[in-house]
Amino acid sequence: METIEIDIRGQLCPATLLVALKEINARAALLRKGAAKLAFLIDNRDATGTIPESAANMGFAVTVERQDGWYRIEVSAPH
Amino acid sequence: MLLSVHPFVFLGTVSLLLGLTAGFVLHRSDFCLAGMFRDLFLFRRTVMIHSFVLLVTVTMVLFEAARMFGLLSVYPFPLLYAPSAANVIGGFLLGIGMVLAGGCVIGTLYKMGAGSVLSMTAFAGIIFGSGLYAEFHPAWAAFVKQTTFFSGKITVAQILGVDPSLTVLSVVVPTAALLITWHRRDAFTRTTFAAAYLQPFRAALLLALISSASYVLVGMPLGVTSTFTKIAGWAERILLPGHFADLTFYAGVPLDFVNRLTGPAPLTGGPGPAYDALAAVQLPLIVGIVAGSALSAGLLGELRIAYRVPGKQYMLAASGGILMGLASRMAPTCNVWHLLGGLPILAASSILFLFGMLGGAWFGGLLLVRLLDAGAAPASGKLCAQRRGPA
Repeated sequence: METIEIDIRGQLCPATLLVALKEINARAALLRKGAAKLAFLIDNRDATGTIPESAANMGFAVTVERQDGWYRIEVSAPH
Repeated sequence: MLLSVHPFVFLGTVSLLLGLTAGFVLHRSDFCLAGMFRDLFLFRRTVMIHSFVLLVTVTMVLFEAARMFGLLSVYPFPLLYAPSAANVIGGFLLGIGMVLAGGCVIGTLYKMGAGSVLSMTAFAGIIFGSGLYAEFHPAWAAFVKQTTFFSGKITVAQILGVDPSLTVLSVVVPTAALLITWHRRDAFTRTTFAAAYLQPFRAALLLALISSASYVLVGMPLGVTSTFTKIAGWAERILLPGHFADLTFYAGVPLDFVNRLTGPAPLTGGPGPAYDALAAVQLPLIVGIVAGSALSAGLLGELRIAYRVPGKQYMLAASGGILMGLASRMAPTCNVWHLLGGLPILAASSILFLFGMLGGAWFGGLLLVRLLDAGAAPASGKLCAQRRGPA
């Protein structure tokens, strides 16, 4: 499965969430088929709540991993 | 005089400690006032607004208790004026500015402390905007005078001619009922994956205590923007000394009050670049907020200078900052002064400011989504609503 990495660290609030929503939306079919997963690299503490919440509301599986001073959020096909 | 140290040393030490605590709390909870109001309109997210209502209500109770126990040197506190159209207009512009800049005047400080280069850009914008205001201050001051109503009256209680306890109680009782309902629905708690996250309701309670401590000890609640204006004046005095001398704005000394804790000598200050009582209070507070946030981020290993972002976002941060700087002087004080200080004593100007700012946050959100070109808000709103599976 392809992992599409999107680095949105340091971006203006709420661009982090808007970009993530746009990317999820644009690749929704691909994600649902399980052909790819999205990995967002973020450093916005607020977005560690809003991105997983929005993605879960859309029915996707979400994982959040803390990295070295930032966070990696993976969005993939529903379980 | 209760204290043997110089008033400025006392005021500065208290403000520095309050600033450090506030900066730490703001970073841990990402308690972004701009974000709360923006997301209310943009994403229909209410969780942070609940904590904002809690913050204002608890501050209201604490201020009123401090007043009744005779702990306040001045009531209403200095630098609040009778309501005018300027409050709404200033609030509206500040609302737009804070949304474009990704943080209000205090949000910019704590985000800057955590290494956001965009917030540093917004900060420079605020200073520039504050200086820009000096160019049309006489005309704006005349407009404020023309549109002032209930002249000489600051709070709703003064306008109605009743005891402040009555107006405070009539707001606190229904609001407390609302807060209890939210508490029962668990509407204060957020799920996030941020390290050592401080729930916003806890941040609200801590900020209410910090604001009250400031009012009791310093004589005023938290404020930062007069000192931003001082920095602008200081730069202008160096770069354009001839022009600076012509600007009447910097000559004003609107602060003049006696703080019982620091002695009978009045504490005075204004927007001019002098180290007066305003600077003695605000500069340590500003340094404290930035340092407190940097400390919080540093301890979590999250202090990183992030600057590789689309160039357009720098433009947005700068223009949002300029708007905030201008609006802070036009309003005629910033959102922190109005929301964390004026609103809790039901200052009519602060209530008007809030309405203006709500409009500005709504309009700023629409503008921001368009300018960011990062996805349309209505579409993203719909996305959130499309529940396709277990949340």
